[in-house]
Amino acid sequence: MTSFFGRLKSGTSPASPASSNPPAKKDPHAPQLTPLEKLLADAGPIRGDGSDKFFGFENFGSTCYCNSIIQCLYYSVPFREQVIHFPSRSPPEALERPANAPLPRLNTDLMPTANGQNSALSPKGRNSVSSPSTASPRKPVTTPGGAVNPQATKPEDNKDSPEYKKKQALAAGPVLTMDYENSKAYGMSESLFTSLKDIFEAIIAHRSHIGVVSPHKFLEILRRENEMFRTAMHQDAHEFLNLLLNEVVENVEHFSKSRIQEIGHSEANGLTVNSGVVVPDRTSTMSSTTGWVHELFEGTLTSETRCLTCENTSQRDEAFLDLSVDLDQHSSVTSCLRKFSEEEMLCERNKFHCDNCGGLQEAEKRMKIKRLPKILALHLKRFKYTEDLQRLQKLFHRVVYPYYLRLFNTTDDAEDPDRLYELYAVVVHIGGGPYHGHYVSIIKTQDRGWLLFDDELVEPVDKAYVRNFFGGANALACAYVLFYQETTEEAMQRELEDEGLAAAKQATEATAETVTVTTPKANGVVNGHPLMHSTTPIAEQDNHFASLSHAPTAPLLPHEHNSLDHIATSIPILGTRKSNLQSKKEKAERAKEEKERKAQEKELEKQAKQKRKEMETQRRENYRRQEEELRQALAASRLTANEENKKRYEGTGVDHEKEAEKANGFGSKTGLSRFRHSSMSLRHKPKFWPGGKDKHDESGEHDTPSIPGVDTEGGSATPLATPDKAEKEKKNRFSLGRKKSTFHL
Amino acid sequence: MFVLPPPPRYPAAGYPGAPGTQLIETNNTLTHPTGPENQLVVGEGTYVLRDDLHLATPPPHPSEAPVHNPNPLATTISPPSAGTKLSLVVLAPRLQSNSRLYRLDTSTSTRSQVPPSIQESPHESTSQASDSGSHSANGIAPTPLEGLHAPAFGSQNPSLAVLNGKDTKDPLKKRKPKSNIVKSNSSFVSRVIPHEALSKRLQEHNPNGLYAFANVNRALQWLDLTSPTKEEHLTKILFTKAHALCHDVNHISKAPNHIDFVMGFSTGDVIWYEPMSQKYVRINKNGVINGSAVSDIRWLPNSENLFLAVHMDGSLVVYDKEKEDALFVAENQAESGDLAAHEKEKKAALTVKKSVNSKNQKTNPVAYWKVSNSKINAFAFSPDCRHIAVVSEDGSFRIIDFLKEQLLHQYMSYYGGMLCVCWSPDGRYIVTGGQDDLVSIWSLEDSMLVARCQGHNSWVTAVQFDPWRCDERNYRIGSVGEDCRLLLWDFSVGMLHRPRAASVRQRNSVTSATLKMQRSRTEGSTTRLRSNSNLTSGSVLDEEEVVHPVEPRARTAMLPPVMAKTVDEHPLCWLGFEEDCIITSCNSGHIRTWDRPKEGAGSDDAPSTTSASASAGASNA
Repeated sequence: MTSFFGRLKSGTSPASPASSNPPAKKDPHAPQLTPLEKLLADAGPIRGDGSDKFFGFENFGSTCYCNSIIQCLYYSVPFREQVIHFPSRSPPEALERPANAPLPRLNTDLMPTANGQNSALSPKGRNSVSSPSTASPRKPVTTPGGAVNPQATKPEDNKDSPEYKKKQALAAGPVLTMDYENSKAYGMSESLFTSLKDIFEAIIAHRSHIGVVSPHKFLEILRRENEMFRTAMHQDAHEFLNLLLNEVVENVEHFSKSRIQEIGHSEANGLTVNSGVVVPDRTSTMSSTTGWVHELFEGTLTSETRCLTCENTSQRDEAFLDLSVDLDQHSSVTSCLRKFSEEEMLCERNKFHCDNCGGLQEAEKRMKIKRLPKILALHLKRFKYTEDLQRLQKLFHRVVYPYYLRLFNTTDDAEDPDRLYELYAVVVHIGGGPYHGHYVSIIKTQDRGWLLFDDELVEPVDKAYVRNFFGGANALACAYVLFYQETTEEAMQRELEDEGLAAAKQATEATAETVTVTTPKANGVVNGHPLMHSTTPIAEQDNHFASLSHAPTAPLLPHEHNSLDHIATSIPILGTRKSNLQSKKEKAERAKEEKERKAQEKELEKQAKQKRKEMETQRRENYRRQEEELRQALAASRLTANEENKKRYEGTGVDHEKEAEKANGFGSKTGLSRFRHSSMSLRHKPKFWPGGKDKHDESGEHDTPSIPGVDTEGGSATPLATPDKAEKEKKNRFSLGRKKSTFHL
Repeated sequence: MFVLPPPPRYPAAGYPGAPGTQLIETNNTLTHPTGPENQLVVGEGTYVLRDDLHLATPPPHPSEAPVHNPNPLATTISPPSAGTKLSLVVLAPRLQSNSRLYRLDTSTSTRSQVPPSIQESPHESTSQASDSGSHSANGIAPTPLEGLHAPAFGSQNPSLAVLNGKDTKDPLKKRKPKSNIVKSNSSFVSRVIPHEALSKRLQEHNPNGLYAFANVNRALQWLDLTSPTKEEHLTKILFTKAHALCHDVNHISKAPNHIDFVMGFSTGDVIWYEPMSQKYVRINKNGVINGSAVSDIRWLPNSENLFLAVHMDGSLVVYDKEKEDALFVAENQAESGDLAAHEKEKKAALTVKKSVNSKNQKTNPVAYWKVSNSKINAFAFSPDCRHIAVVSEDGSFRIIDFLKEQLLHQYMSYYGGMLCVCWSPDGRYIVTGGQDDLVSIWSLEDSMLVARCQGHNSWVTAVQFDPWRCDERNYRIGSVGEDCRLLLWDFSVGMLHRPRAASVRQRNSVTSATLKMQRSRTEGSTTRLRSNSNLTSGSVLDEEEVVHPVEPRARTAMLPPVMAKTVDEHPLCWLGFEEDCIITSCNSGHIRTWDRPKEGAGSDDAPSTTSASASAGASNA
């Protein structure tokens, strides 16, 4: 019901794009705003921080694991900022770059026409593409009847199916084909990090709020460097997250080290490599802390092991980037975390090597969180190895997760043990087992509420939707990775208040709708007034016309006339029913008359409809024109304002350019460089780089700079693992699970 | 590596045991599972599962044909629904549910002919803080008559009193609703299925026997829990689309041939139903007063006509069962300046959209308050009939003086929404449960968090005091949750002074509870003053006093359960303590009855339904 009304509304809303051809409402292919487009209808100019970009990711066959995780990371605001700002560059050079390098190469192959005619790729522009005439050449034109009947058609043809929507999204574009790499521009060697950065930058730089990314290069690098992900098979999203985070850490650290070296060299030689990109200023390079991944995702676990033989307790700290927790049927995330920290017996095959009494001993072990991460990535171990089946099996346990969370399993000396977390992203696995299925993510965006990211498809969802993935007997789709981020009580209060207000607003709108809709339906109910039937819809129509500036002219008249006619005819009918005395002839005649009249009525109605439609299109056209004018005026005013600004402020020139592009619908320069006007060097206080260490002391190097957070947060933290252990764990330092975890094979 | 053929991404049928959409009406089933896994072992003895009554889930209404959507990501929002909850009533005169629960010895008086007008106890709280000082320390039981101090809701309002006066003219004749539900042609009610021998069964019903009303999906069943054929419903009502989310029986107006029963629906509608005569009236029809779902509903204590429904948009609405609906517009009252002041300090205020003292009392609502914009999950009246405790999805827990229409306290959960709330029989403590997996105990007179009870493995969906195991110093609390478990907690006043809690408190003395306690003591007098003055002084309440911050974990006592047991295969949603049993119910319609331990010779197989009803009749043998 509501969706019907939503559609109706969108059809009549002045912002709707139907412009060139008269809108045929019965046409199933009529351009309709997608829910996302509706949501973004009031989106203003593109922001520089990427918080108003909602791009889908193309699926190249089982690459949804990658798409869902990248989306989660993109909307981890601090992570995105860091990725963008990481190798800090000075703004002027950044501006220079597009000139000599073909960067950013935003591929527009898929839709050259649209691009040419309407380069302001706002939601409006894209609609012209998704209209039936141009967009669906591949798809055999389905008849309206076929679309209605889902059984008879392929899933892609059902308009409500995700397959269809994805195709539409891909067809609508704009598609960012990320088959290039800019690593050189960052002064880095090609890596997962640089290609992730490429993707983020391309998204942010693009003029459209929506679109689709084709992460070719990213997957290429991923597959080149990791055998595991080389097949086209279904992969584990959590493993990928882990790999990606570790890779990013490594790439960033590697870069920083080589940078220091390089700068040393260049200063010695008096020449800079890639001078156009690299900031020659030594201090600003220092300022970009390499430990930002650690600062965001890393927490510290303390494992206390008590040897049952000598009663000696040994402690060991381990860093983690995410926590993998075992699941129980009908449990909560809270309880899974508590279970994680419950005492565990180390015995039999799993004995503990006690340094005190020497040799393998039985011991008790428990792991608690000593330092809480800023972003808590929780991996629910839904894939469990079962002995009798000799393979992994998916657990469909119902595990509830709250929107807000605190951790019970902290150590007594943990700093801020009552830290409040809020849920902001959920990776959902859909499917019956670990070897196949699909991943999507549901993410809370900064100011657009919760959105569902299903490969190419991006759709706004209700907050309550997040709770659909607890799992359970009938649930094919269950939450697999949960992202919680640090927040404050005040922020929580504010947000809940806002949410409540929004909900209240929505509710009043909804009731306004349902009153008109349900009254006729429910009114037969107890003391039905048939009059209600007629009154409500008319009132609604009146509303329609009220918004018309030139409403009270021609088209209304036949309508009124019409209704009068109706009454006139209806009286004789009553008469016929009551009096059986009348002859059949008369009846027949009357029936004939009746028919004719009805036909006439229909004709009139048709005409009226036609007129109404025409009026509507006219009205829309007018509105659009007005809007256009307004926008141009605004743009012009901004232009002048910017020009003034430009004199004293070089950086904002970019802004003005962008504005102009948007308004006038042209502009050959890409806006990629936009975000650079805020130079990163200001964001971080120059910190002393522990540069005394040089690169060959690799393991040590890995440990120390990785925890700058500890340094700043207080010296109470005990030192990390001994270097040799760290070396041992170097590759998979952070894939932390308990020893007894069965999943990591 | 394994090469498995990838199954279709969205299989047509769901995975393990897809919801086989049942299309025929089925009957309730009664089973008697036995064995050690169906026993609850606690200090006082062993509770044994008497039986498991499974209410049949009705098939969907033909007009609401199940649209099978194979897409697990479908973004359609399903309307709110609720697991099976029960409203229990014994027709023989006894104390009303709120006040009958006082001490162990009240259980005897329960069966005696104590007139329902006398209330037990309310330990008067902040509003009468001068008394509370003397009581709280030594736990002297207040006299039963003290409860009469609490004036009836809306008693100051002459325009309400007129109607009340009408009632007293003919006190014996109970007013029935207007329409017959069986003959109704309402599209709201789909079908009514009375038992073939309904009148016979009603005659045979033991006046001390237990009637129950239970919702399951779109059905509501009226059951006789003491009948030998208790699986056969007395009446089953199927609603077309709406689900009954909550319901309550009026314990004041009940009579051998009369039960006032109200239920709140997912559509916002409320139905007042009298099952004996099969009459009903629909209130807030099509959400004319408030369009959001009703999440909890209760009769006002000591009122025959008024009930309070909380709506999911954060409103609390008092309705009169006999008044007509009228389109509701928030009233701008004389003290609008005061209202504005309330709204300014937003968080700490109760927005009175229509006061009970409003002159316009010809139509519903009688009163209309709003606490916040977030969904209210549950509420409970205090035994002294002055306060309501309201818990919401945003994690807030509020204590409201509903007679004065004033917010007294606002607390926050440790994290996540709060789902359930309950008062101790003496009104001193309030217990809440929520999405932090905790049962939290709050003290009204000290206005502080007393303890957090950790033991559930998932969200806590219902909490109850067991009045038969409570006295002045010791309290038995029961809780059930999404983890399918029933937990029992013993909480004693002495526990408060346990070294751990005490030492912890001293350590952080600066801002901590001791200071707060003192403050609340001293400020009690100011509150009293205020309570004597008029309503407008409410704005004097400073926010700090009303809004309480979250207590850090290090500062609160943790209480372990005395018993924890999985009692169902499905998440539980309701819990009730009766004199001879504990009753639990779950989301999919299983009602399980657990017999209390037998004193003396324990023969486990003894409790048949007949003996149970007999024991229920013979007070304390």
